[in-house]
Amino acid sequence: MTELVQNLIDALALGSLYALIALGVTVIYSVMDMMNFAHGEFIMLSAYALYVLAGLPFAAAVGGALVTGVLIAIVAERVAFRPVRKADMSAQLVTSLAVATILQNVVMAAVDARPKSVATPTFISESTQLGAISVPNLEFLTLALTAVVLVGLGWLLYRTRAGLAMRAAAENFEMARLLGVRADRVIALSFAVSGALAATVGVLLVMQTGQVSPTMGLTPVLVGFVAVTIGGFGKMFGAVLGGLVLGAISSLLGAYLPEGLLPFRDAFVFSLPVAILIFRPHGLLGAATGEARV
Amino acid sequence: MSGGRLRSRSSLSLSLLAPLILVALTMAVGANGTPSLRGTVTMILCNLIIVLGLQVFIGNSGVYSFGQLGFASAGAYVAALLTLPAAFAALQTPALPHWIASAQLTPLLSTLVAAAACGLLAAVVGLPLMRTSTLAIPISTFAFLIVVYNVLANWDAISGGSSGLVSIPRTTSIGAAGLWAGAAVVVALAYKWSTHGYRLQATREDEVAARSLGIGVTGERLIAFALSGMLCGIGGALAAHQSGVLNPTTFYFGATVTTVTMMVLGGARSVLGAVLGAIAVASVNELLRGFEGGGHIFGVLSIGRTPGLTAIGVGLILLATMIAMPDGLSGGREAGELGWVRRLRTMRPSPGSAANGAVAMKKIERSGEGALRAEGISVAFGGLRVLRGVDLTLQPGEALGLIGPNGAGKTTLVNVLSGFLAPDAGTVSLDGADVSGRSPARLARAGLSRTFQAALPFPHLNGLESVAVGAMGVGVGRREAVTVAARVLDRLGMHEQAAVPAGSLPPASQRLLGVARALATGPRYLLLDEPAAGLSEVEGGELIAILRAVLDDFGCGILLIEHEMSVVMSLCPRVQVIDDGVTLRVGSPAEIQADPAVVEAYLGSSYLAAASA
Repeated sequence: MTELVQNLIDALALGSLYALIALGVTVIYSVMDMMNFAHGEFIMLSAYALYVLAGLPFAAAVGGALVTGVLIAIVAERVAFRPVRKADMSAQLVTSLAVATILQNVVMAAVDARPKSVATPTFISESTQLGAISVPNLEFLTLALTAVVLVGLGWLLYRTRAGLAMRAAAENFEMARLLGVRADRVIALSFAVSGALAATVGVLLVMQTGQVSPTMGLTPVLVGFVAVTIGGFGKMFGAVLGGLVLGAISSLLGAYLPEGLLPFRDAFVFSLPVAILIFRPHGLLGAATGEARV
Repeated sequence: MSGGRLRSRSSLSLSLLAPLILVALTMAVGANGTPSLRGTVTMILCNLIIVLGLQVFIGNSGVYSFGQLGFASAGAYVAALLTLPAAFAALQTPALPHWIASAQLTPLLSTLVAAAACGLLAAVVGLPLMRTSTLAIPISTFAFLIVVYNVLANWDAISGGSSGLVSIPRTTSIGAAGLWAGAAVVVALAYKWSTHGYRLQATREDEVAARSLGIGVTGERLIAFALSGMLCGIGGALAAHQSGVLNPTTFYFGATVTTVTMMVLGGARSVLGAVLGAIAVASVNELLRGFEGGGHIFGVLSIGRTPGLTAIGVGLILLATMIAMPDGLSGGREAGELGWVRRLRTMRPSPGSAANGAVAMKKIERSGEGALRAEGISVAFGGLRVLRGVDLTLQPGEALGLIGPNGAGKTTLVNVLSGFLAPDAGTVSLDGADVSGRSPARLARAGLSRTFQAALPFPHLNGLESVAVGAMGVGVGRREAVTVAARVLDRLGMHEQAAVPAGSLPPASQRLLGVARALATGPRYLLLDEPAAGLSEVEGGELIAILRAVLDDFGCGILLIEHEMSVVMSLCPRVQVIDDGVTLRVGSPAEIQADPAVVEAYLGSSYLAAASA
């Protein structure tokens, strides 16, 4: 029983982290129909900010990571994604693949190909005892941050003019433009939000592993993509749900997979969601949309 | 154009020869160079085979897969394990079954086994993945790549783990790689120009229109995916036997980006492009690799050791291509289709020649036995009830007009009849058989075809190809399909447009092409959804005149949705009026025009009141 509760808390924490990644991918997808491969590199670069700013107090370094994530996302949008905004989804996806490759290898060339360790506050690696179960403080932090982010995102989307513009653009971009929503501004704002989400994830990943590496964004971005796919493209709630489902799958596999198969956990984590797609090709929440009037 | 040809003989041979000559030139450069250059060129040829593998799937389907390098990886491991000297095998892969470790196949045999294994693997993996959507395929194939990596990196006793395999016999000569690459070019082009290749290209151009022509999207994608996996496996096997070393990252994310860049830079739709792109990107790579260890540019600017430099170069090429030249160096065309080649010769089918084609359109049974029948069709979108128990009967050979005000549910009804939309209630039967719930593709093969309110052209296929795809969609062979297409185009007076890419035709021609495409499926029932929508009055009038002249020849039953009342009234002896989701009246044009309920639906009761006052 204790073990089960422990595993469920682990699953929830991991799922929250995945949900944050998936949200970062979805914020951009919902507004401009682009799956952004470079989201992993937004995460990676934010994490490197912690490495570069290691001399500063940790809180200041986290602030630096946040600024880095937002800035890099806005710059990438302006330089690389705006010129292909009118292209089809595949072309945008490939463009973001190019951006990801460039960012990843620039860091490799500028810093090092090998992982670098980053010191994090000690309380992160400690655990809190709750009766019979012991919960790592990082999991508390992850859950708390996710809650804060969800509330913040909800406030932004449903309580502000900018959020209204974003939601309108997500519903029907062209119509929103015709009604006076400024496309450049809405898209830049979604990238900023996405960058902030990436930075949050970057900081949490550094706290978890204590290191940064140029390729650290690869698995997270795939996690985000798969979560978004099983949740249903372009739906905020779907992204959270997909993240939680994927987190639960991953966490429970880690706990219950036989010893010999444990190294193959990633193979299972990324194979199982495909089973969901076979039965629900448009994801858990993505209803097959009615035929467009063609 | 002699019957059965989609391109002139000269265009065909040029399209085939140009990439082969490029491969031969590449071989010649390598064969006469230093041993190190020879090795580099051999590797470029191996990569070219993988790029051709990508082109077969991505180029023809327009759907990105980021998992094809997983098949290259699988092929490389299969070939390596089948040829690894026994002593090394025992050391590196202790758990490998004896019969594999001691197989000691010849290089050729191991490559063939790798090809077969990868083709099979791709078919098995593709079976579930191809069922998912156009957007989910890139993601799920990327996941496949990571799964392959994860398995290879951790299955130490079989794969050698993350440190991989060394001492693989280095048996791939530049000649062998060149021959395989040449064969891959031929296979890629043969596939592209086969009925399967054309059907897949049609789904790339417009998925909805392709489905309406009888094309099963999943099945066509799966065939290309398996063929692509096979080519990638061959490339991987040859590469492993070139370099002699292999590990799980050899064909992983970096190689995926590099090969995708090669394909995109060349122009994804073109086989020639794959060859051009592979050579161009590899050349830039070699140039940059010289600087990765540090060095001087022009003897002035000195740079330190920069790992990642080639990858940055590849990324920049990919980014620049996507922004500035999305169709790539080849413009997505084969050598025989390039502008300057086309200007050299005028390829136009001579009018009338097609009529000699022995193949006749499907003869239509005019007996009253069969009909397209819909009974009690109801559809609701959320709370909005668009159709409420509509019946409709269309006899073969008759023209039925379907009219009603905007929002009456006409297009929804056509979507239900053609299988694009499942009704909430009601049944559709075709010649007595219940076909409710059948896919649009199956209905098209059963003799029910349709057009759309938008023209939905296949922009990169020319007029003849666009129409021939219609016949290919319902299972007609390539030669026969071209004959049918030429006949239809001829009959519609469109032979001028046969050699022009559909994307550059004027709207009126695109519309007519849409009708031609549907007619080429040899339909027993044809549903025309506002064929004149979006055209000027003159263009619309011409289109209708052509339709009127032509439709009787083809003898199919026609359901015509049209807003221009005069058109419907003159073309259709029977008219069905629907309004607000229910049938208002079925009758002759005269009866319809005299019915007050119909007039009210169109003009409002106030008009009636005013008129009678």
